[in-house]
Amino acid sequence: MSREEILQTKDKIITHLRGILGDDAETIIAERRYGFISGLLKDVLKKPPIERLTLSDNIDKVVVNRWLGIPLFLALLYGVFQFVFTLSGPFMDWIDQFFGWLGGYASGVSPDWLGSLLADGIIGGLGSVLIFIPPIFLLFIAIAVLEDCGYMARGAFVMDRIMHKVGLHGRSFIPMILGFGCNIPGIMACRTIENPKDRLTTILINPFMSCGARLPIFVLLAAAFFTANQGLVVFSMYIIGIIVAIFMALVLRKSILKGPSGHFVMELPPYRLPTVTGVLVHMWERGSLFLRKAGTIIFGVVVLVWLLSSLPWGVEYASAESWIGQIGSFIAPVFAPCGFGQWQAAVSLLFGFLAKEVVVGTMGAIFAVEEGILGGAIAAQLGWTPLIAFAFMVFCLLYAPCVAAIGVIRGETNSWKWAGFAALYTTVVAWIAATLIFQVGRLFVG
Amino acid sequence: MAVKLLTELKPGEKGRIVKIGGTGSIHQRLLDMGLVSGSEVEMQRVAPLGDPIEIRVKGYNLSLRKEEAASIQVEVT
Repeated sequence: MSREEILQTKDKIITHLRGILGDDAETIIAERRYGFISGLLKDVLKKPPIERLTLSDNIDKVVVNRWLGIPLFLALLYGVFQFVFTLSGPFMDWIDQFFGWLGGYASGVSPDWLGSLLADGIIGGLGSVLIFIPPIFLLFIAIAVLEDCGYMARGAFVMDRIMHKVGLHGRSFIPMILGFGCNIPGIMACRTIENPKDRLTTILINPFMSCGARLPIFVLLAAAFFTANQGLVVFSMYIIGIIVAIFMALVLRKSILKGPSGHFVMELPPYRLPTVTGVLVHMWERGSLFLRKAGTIIFGVVVLVWLLSSLPWGVEYASAESWIGQIGSFIAPVFAPCGFGQWQAAVSLLFGFLAKEVVVGTMGAIFAVEEGILGGAIAAQLGWTPLIAFAFMVFCLLYAPCVAAIGVIRGETNSWKWAGFAALYTTVVAWIAATLIFQVGRLFVG
Repeated sequence: MAVKLLTELKPGEKGRIVKIGGTGSIHQRLLDMGLVSGSEVEMQRVAPLGDPIEIRVKGYNLSLRKEEAASIQVEVT
């Protein structure tokens, strides 16, 4: 028989069987399979397991209740947030102090360049990454508890309507909220999303959620330039982040990540008490990945930045004469339309790529003043207006996430292409937003 | 016996599946999760924002969006 004949025979048999059985093969197979299962169960199963389900049902009457469902979801989220960031605070301070002490000790090493490499480069750089270990591990504990007890599926059930509207999935909501703490666990939490395009979109918009490391920038500039409305200005950064994230999700889902959204046919499992071992295993599986990343990708970038800041030989670390200072001066004009075309701003943004809170530290080093009076120094020496400061804050909010986050995007998507895309498109979005704010704002406030 | 769409059941109402429509992966997924004709289903609840819905089938709870449930016809029991 030729190939065509075989295919024709196949089609003929399919039509024939469909005529006799009245349905397509998948349906018949599924029906027969379930028919066999229920027949077998009738023979061998004495007592149907319904007791645990009724307890779950009673819990669900409250947890996904029409009125209480959403408030409870938000309250739980707030609880997780508080748990993670309150509990990790002291640990983060210890790690900070430890690396500060270690750096101070290492900077005494001679020759000077070696001391600087150890203190400013390796210890400072690793410290700025390892400081995220406490919140990340605590967050993974919290997620593991929510998953293992069965609540995670309910959270997705409650939020799916809203998320589906913007082209995402019910499961996209949790990663976005986690991003407020730190984008790294937010991006990692996207693993619960099955559909590849839903997942990739959720990963790519996560950096717009304003992470904790950006807060020091906002607080400093808001205090210096918006004395009367500090709180409102900082809060507006979070809102702008959410709006941009949702807008970009829609854009991505309609352009390069076009395609049907994942379905929502999933089990709402009965509630169970999580076990300590199970939770710890989950925490370690995810947390250790971050550690491995900190040890490789991030470490390499840290050393590279140190080199750029220290060369050519003999310059003051991270000064205008250093290579990074020169790069800063070179790219500074790019930011002129945004209002902050000075090399100091460009250099601190370059360093902010290492970790966003470093923007403040770099400014402090450049102006050689303490953080308390840094805002005033920026206003005086760079001649910034509140409008420029606001545009700069928005740029810091939106531009490329830190190296650690890029590394995690690379890991989670298994592609340098998407990691590079994430860094590039966020920076373009940031530039457009800052330019719009500065240029349009200038028409109104001079 | 009245035949309705699965989405038209009220919470607490029960029915027996008559037909699963839809095509492709979503059709296959519904079958895989035990939604085959003859299965007993009970509407549990609607999510707080009106979508998705939660049903009880084959002794467990399943959630699905209304657009996914709209292809399922049930005979009210």
